[in-house]
Amino acid sequence: MTSAEFRQAYESHKDSLFRFAWRMTGSTDAAEDLVHDCFLLVWRKKAAYDGSRGPLRSFLFGVLRNLALKRIGQERSFDELADDSAIAGPIDLVSRERGEIVAQAVGALPPLQREALILAEYEEMSLEEIGRLTGADLAAVKSRLHRARENLRRMLAPILDAKGTAYGRR
Amino acid sequence: MEGDDDGKLRELLKEWQAPGAPKSLDERMLRLRQPWWRVLLTGSIRIPVPVGVALAVAFLTMAGAVWREGRAPEPVASSISLVEFRPVNDLHVRVIRNQ
Repeated sequence: MTSAEFRQAYESHKDSLFRFAWRMTGSTDAAEDLVHDCFLLVWRKKAAYDGSRGPLRSFLFGVLRNLALKRIGQERSFDELADDSAIAGPIDLVSRERGEIVAQAVGALPPLQREALILAEYEEMSLEEIGRLTGADLAAVKSRLHRARENLRRMLAPILDAKGTAYGRR
Repeated sequence: MEGDDDGKLRELLKEWQAPGAPKSLDERMLRLRQPWWRVLLTGSIRIPVPVGVALAVAFLTMAGAVWREGRAPEPVASSISLVEFRPVNDLHVRVIRNQ
């Protein structure tokens, strides 16, 4: 990867990588650090990228998700991080904007469910692409995504089930 | 029913908007691609607070030690050696009076 290619990769992917890191961590500073560290790592180990093994976007997301999970793992216990079948706890739905409520609900998901959901719903990646960059097989990705959606449906039920308005919009 | 629920959930999820990459990230990345000599002139590093405090304490301790050393009085010889002292063996006293 030449300097020009690196620059182009940064310009093309910085926003989507930042959005992913921001949604994973819930922090602008943490997301900025993670994306910076991701590109720093890629720049220092340019030879690690093999174009024949998949698109650059998957490679960058793969590096970033490893850094993000490592950071999240430092803040949580290993059991909590590894348990992708965990059921998220209740969230506060009173006196909050809907965007904030969604952010809190997604943030309450176990990390592996959260990353699968963010990559599928917000970055519009296919199950195969998610599997490739997370190193999980297709069944595991489907299972994580299914559990994430179930958790969200349960947490956001008061909004989703509100009657007389479209999706609970006030 | 499931598909309908998915649609509702998907629409609700879209209400959580994420910001784009901030300018500060661009500036940090720009520094990353600078030549090493420019990094030396304009670069900055982030140091964890405990490390910074430890470095400051070490620097102040060393500076204090150097300052105290500079103010210390010249050392005085603690003993006088008589090894090379030769007493006069043949003494002739000569008295000179005023002429």
